[in-house]
Amino acid sequence: MEFTVSKADLVRELSLSQGVVEKKTTIPILSNVLLEASGDRVTLTATDLELGVRCSCKATVKKEGAGTVPARKLLDYVRLLPEGDVHMKFLENHWVSITCGRSKTRIAGMSRDSFPELPKMPDPIAEIPVKALASLIARTSFAISMEESRFTLSGALLILRPDSMTMVATDGHRLAYVQTPCENAGVGQQFRALIPKKAMGELVKLAEDAVPEAKAEFAGDDNHLFFKVGERLLITRKLTGNFPDYERVLPKDHTLIARLQKDEIRAAIERVAQFADERSRAIRVQFTEGEVKVFSSSVEMGESEETVTSEYKGPDLEIGFNAQYLLDFLRVTAQDHIAFELKDQKSAGELRPAGDATPDQYRYVVMPMRI
Amino acid sequence: MQVRQRVSWLEMKTFFHLDMDAFFVSVEELFDPALKGKPVVVGGRPNERGVVSAASYAARRFGVHSAMPLRTAHKLCPQAIFVDGHMERYQEYSHKVHDVLCGFTPLVEMASIDEAYLDITGTQRLYGPPLRAAHLLHERISAATKLNCSIGIAASRLVAKICSDQAKPNGVLWVIPGREAAFLAPLDVRRIPGVGKVSEKNLNSLGIRKVGDLAKFDEAFLEQHFGKLGLALAGKAQGLDAGGWFDTEIGAEEGPKSISHEHTFSEDTADLAQIEATLAKLSEMVGRRLREHGLSARTIQLKLRYTDFSTITRAHSVARPTSLDTELFEEIRALFHRNWKKGSTVRLLGVHASGWSEEQAQLDLLDDHTHERWQRALAAADHMRDRFGESAVSLAASLRGKFRERTHENPVGLPGKKK
Repeated sequence: MEFTVSKADLVRELSLSQGVVEKKTTIPILSNVLLEASGDRVTLTATDLELGVRCSCKATVKKEGAGTVPARKLLDYVRLLPEGDVHMKFLENHWVSITCGRSKTRIAGMSRDSFPELPKMPDPIAEIPVKALASLIARTSFAISMEESRFTLSGALLILRPDSMTMVATDGHRLAYVQTPCENAGVGQQFRALIPKKAMGELVKLAEDAVPEAKAEFAGDDNHLFFKVGERLLITRKLTGNFPDYERVLPKDHTLIARLQKDEIRAAIERVAQFADERSRAIRVQFTEGEVKVFSSSVEMGESEETVTSEYKGPDLEIGFNAQYLLDFLRVTAQDHIAFELKDQKSAGELRPAGDATPDQYRYVVMPMRI
Repeated sequence: MQVRQRVSWLEMKTFFHLDMDAFFVSVEELFDPALKGKPVVVGGRPNERGVVSAASYAARRFGVHSAMPLRTAHKLCPQAIFVDGHMERYQEYSHKVHDVLCGFTPLVEMASIDEAYLDITGTQRLYGPPLRAAHLLHERISAATKLNCSIGIAASRLVAKICSDQAKPNGVLWVIPGREAAFLAPLDVRRIPGVGKVSEKNLNSLGIRKVGDLAKFDEAFLEQHFGKLGLALAGKAQGLDAGGWFDTEIGAEEGPKSISHEHTFSEDTADLAQIEATLAKLSEMVGRRLREHGLSARTIQLKLRYTDFSTITRAHSVARPTSLDTELFEEIRALFHRNWKKGSTVRLLGVHASGWSEEQAQLDLLDDHTHERWQRALAAADHMRDRFGESAVSLAASLRGKFRERTHENPVGLPGKKK
């Protein structure tokens, strides 16, 4: 195999593979990126067996073929080359020579034969607006469980309905839910799948590179999900298992509502949280007519409190919350105002954007802490 | 590291170290007077796996000592009478001893089931000089328990402990302040608490055999060779309380750093049902102790020893600290299945909990309240065990895993320790 590509193109596409290749793997070939030259393109493939990325760029192909090269090393090196054309030639014993201007390098590759075969993409069932998808991910992924043992919570639930797209994530302590209108005529009644957290991160990267109106062709087989944005294809294994019945935990009868200016309450919590217990991150939130007070105290550090005004009409109520959980929501919400809906000390509280109506429905449910 | 400063005569601290003589054996003799004077080995049958918990003085003359495999003990002393340990009897007598001690002075710390340190500083007007006080205590113990004990008296706990050993059996020994170094000098370094087989060998290799040899070296030299231990040794050679446990005050409550239970099968096994039942039983024992101490563990560790003695330990940190048998068992079982070489016969299993943490304050969103329900159920089970004994209730999973507990000197809940 022998081809020439522009350095900028190669760096751009190679970067996409970096989030996928395993840094520490017991299977050496998985640290490599598969390069395939044919026609007037070179295609790059990387996988960790759970997640795969396939992308390509224009190239002048002198001799078609395929081979694999350590992904990290290749990118680190090519990035340092001057702008211009990079010439790659695959030699015997899987060595690859890279020439660019006056730079010459030989790098040890591996045979493509042991590189895992990626599944074929079936016919798409929907076209999803990429930016909207990224926005769903940004507003839910922080609620995904970090615990390996809670397997079905280590990703988010994606639901496609003919007229909407929904994403739900939870770690068992809080739950983030977003629904956005979206034309998916091709979807039957509904399509549900669990997307692993790592894949969500890579989808966001694809979205960052895409034009505002870009759409992803979406497909699924028994075990995989496929997202194709332009020439770039992301394949992820689905998480198996049952996602918890999220509708059961979405509060239905909260009558106590505190409306708050988002930046004000966020800044207050950020300051007060400095004096919360470092492990539990517990703060107390006190709701009284017309205002909300947040305070914290830790034996070692000291204590802190702040009051913000709020439209709250209801009985006095004091509830403990993990400050980090509240901030996670306040930091990704775009709207200026939020509503904090409550029932009592032991029931879940709900946060949602308030103010100008938006087509999106964003709900964030947080369980209190014992105080 | 804190090395106690020498102080003037009047403020001089006075410590007792009281050690029951051949405690387990003596208690057995109370229940079966026919054992008196005979070589007796407590711990199990001579053909069983496991180790000697205690040996009578008659058996010790044959070279039998505690922690020796039962089979070795049998070879050394075939005529010995082997008896099973009765932990509940020893606990009962340990409590009797503790009651007497607490009636004597408020500053009492049980160091194990059959020994205690007492701080009797300032009791002169009540009991007279230390030797008289010791004799009085000796009589009280004997009256309350019909058991013999030995008492060491010194200005440091370290010397008191060494004293009581020298005073055995049934004696009292006082090293008067200022004579500690002279008293210690002719003793083997091994006599110093904290010097085990390995340290002894290392010290010997430097030509240090007697405590007197050790006292000749300065702190800096010992620290250079033995690190922190060396620094403590320098103090100990002078008869000062230093290093590890000796740095704490008597009566200062120091909770456990970890809680664990192990079991050696009497026959190695690869029978999954038996292994799991044993893990369940061990999890229950660990859970019970965690709850007794009011602790929740963040780190759960499995110990697994195969027939060829190769041993692995594997730990996992749980997201939600726990003291519940069911949750411990679930973690341990998962660890076992991830690490067991399928089909390999297992000799020993151990469950170890550490990393104390508050019971989680964060409420659960998806919880079906299993955790809280188990919490209540196990609290009730603990009450029943308190009243009717440890075997009153158990998890169904652990029923097949029942085994006779080995008797050892640091059992659950020493008398006087906070539960």
